[in-house]
Amino acid sequence: MRLLLVEDHVPLADELIAGLQRQGYAVDWLADGRDAVYQGCSEPYDLIVLDLGLPGVPGLDVLTQWRAGGLATPVLILTARDSWAERIEGLKAGADDYLTKPFHPEELYLRIQSLLRRSKGQANQPTLKAAGLHLDEGRQCVVRDGADIQLTAAEFRLLRYFMLHPEQILSKSHLAEHLYDGETERDSNVLEVHVNHLRRKLGKSVIETRRGQGYLFGGQAS
Amino acid sequence: MRSIQRRLSLGLISVMVVVGVVLAQVSLWLFEVGLQRYLEAGLRNDSESLLVALVRGPQGLQLDERHLSPAYQRPFSGHYFRIDFADSHWRSRSLWDQDLPLLPQPGLHSNLQLGPDGQQLLVLRSDYRRLGQSISISVAQDYTPVRESFQRMRQIGLGLGLAGLLLILILQRLTVHRALRPLEKAREQIAQLQQGQRSQLDEQVPAELEPLVAQINHLLAHTEDSLKRSRNALGNLGHALKTPLAVLLSLASNEQLDAHPELRRILKEQLEQVQQRLNRELNRARLSGDALPGALFDCDAELPGLLATLNMIHGEHLALSYVSPSGLQLPWDREDLLELLGNLLDNACKWADAEVRLSVVETAEGFVLSVEDDGPGIPEAQRDQVFSRGTRLDEQTHGHGLGLGIVRDIVETWGGVLVLGESEWGGLKVEIQLPRR
Repeated sequence: MRLLLVEDHVPLADELIAGLQRQGYAVDWLADGRDAVYQGCSEPYDLIVLDLGLPGVPGLDVLTQWRAGGLATPVLILTARDSWAERIEGLKAGADDYLTKPFHPEELYLRIQSLLRRSKGQANQPTLKAAGLHLDEGRQCVVRDGADIQLTAAEFRLLRYFMLHPEQILSKSHLAEHLYDGETERDSNVLEVHVNHLRRKLGKSVIETRRGQGYLFGGQAS
Repeated sequence: MRSIQRRLSLGLISVMVVVGVVLAQVSLWLFEVGLQRYLEAGLRNDSESLLVALVRGPQGLQLDERHLSPAYQRPFSGHYFRIDFADSHWRSRSLWDQDLPLLPQPGLHSNLQLGPDGQQLLVLRSDYRRLGQSISISVAQDYTPVRESFQRMRQIGLGLGLAGLLLILILQRLTVHRALRPLEKAREQIAQLQQGQRSQLDEQVPAELEPLVAQINHLLAHTEDSLKRSRNALGNLGHALKTPLAVLLSLASNEQLDAHPELRRILKEQLEQVQQRLNRELNRARLSGDALPGALFDCDAELPGLLATLNMIHGEHLALSYVSPSGLQLPWDREDLLELLGNLLDNACKWADAEVRLSVVETAEGFVLSVEDDGPGIPEAQRDQVFSRGTRLDEQTHGHGLGLGIVRDIVETWGGVLVLGESEWGGLKVEIQLPRR
């Protein structure tokens, strides 16, 4: 999962980036509204965390411009402006969730998880389920038939992406775009290694290889 | 204060009555004096005719009957004379059995009563010397008809004056009403202002009202502007304080503190307190309170957005609904009302299982807003404690804090009443009764 964080307060951004990376997200960070307008549209983010008090272009205007440009990525607004009038404005501008500062980091992570599930059509579930697997995002492990299977951070990230996109063919480049932030070098061999590790832990049939197309998760389980 | 209309009427009446009476009296008096002068000329003429008629006869002086006017012969004809000599006097035949007294001095005298008919006489005494004798001739004329016509004139004048006064009063009333119409309009607009049906007074007013209207408009704009500015400043302050607070909260959860659970606990606790206090005070300061609303709260326009926002925050599994008469507008500041309803509904959503309902009812005394949920509710015995200082309805629910404190602040500022009850689903029902403003 690749997130865009738009926040101009550097210490908070540092904290959030560190926290989100621990949660297994690839995070790109921007501090200026003008950059955000452009980059939000040009990179394939799965979710955007947007602060409203931005230099350059105000956060709400950034959001309005994104939505006007047809960007459908879920946006979570993070702001100190917590009056209901402002929340309603945020919603009208096209926000999908609204979190007011100060907040507990855990609450932000939970909201990001549920917003991601919701945007992938898996609403109203406390945990991520697909192909007979339960992903415990808090502990970063997967549960199958009541038995925990431990995962490394990289495996967790890959599996989460697969589970959020079950029965879809995902190319290697697509996966690389969504699993690594803009600054990490993308090596498709690394992906293959992680896919193989997942197959070893969860069974070969869980992830199918479609030659020349990419990977298919959960195709047989259904 | 008495109305301007009444003051103007009273002032006008008193001035008109005083001026009218004085004017009428003076003109009558002048007219009477003029008339007497005219009659005096006639009398002098008569008196000179009598003098001419005095001729030397066989037994001394005698009156030449041929030169006498027939009016002196007919009894009580209205024309009389008396000629006084040194030792005797003659009277005209018209006097009959009456006596015309001799005036003490020569000259014109009025108001002499005479005769059975009580005629008012105008008498002129003139002194002459003729044929070696001093003679005093008094000529009198009945003045009663003139008096009577004067009286009639006075009555007619009074009637006309009264009618004129009435007419002037009616006209004045109309004029004043017309002249005061802009004032009345301004008064109506101020009433509309109070109810929030308009945000500015009409600038198209007479020159006299212009400074007043301009000043009121200026004040309104100023109030709105400073409210906006202070809200903005509070927003900035909140932003400036809450962002570092968010960093601290995040740091408190940092794994580096895993080894010092006590330190982490204290940090979190204190940060929570700062956060709560900050939120409460910032929200309280943001209220417009009793200031005139810039715009009415339009239920149909605002409530769907509010409910959608709540649904977004609390998830789609909650069925949020509202009941309000269509087209209902509430005369309070939009942001304050959104804050009130937002917090109430937010609280209800935290506790509700599946349903939350807001209803707005207009009553004779004002408006009743009620929010019901199907959550666990609050036992009747504990309801009183909910609003006492330091207790928060939502303290066991993970959320944005704050809860109903701000709701209580808003309701108190508006002079309303907050009642807790049980909803039809067994959950909590918060009812707010707001008096009309």
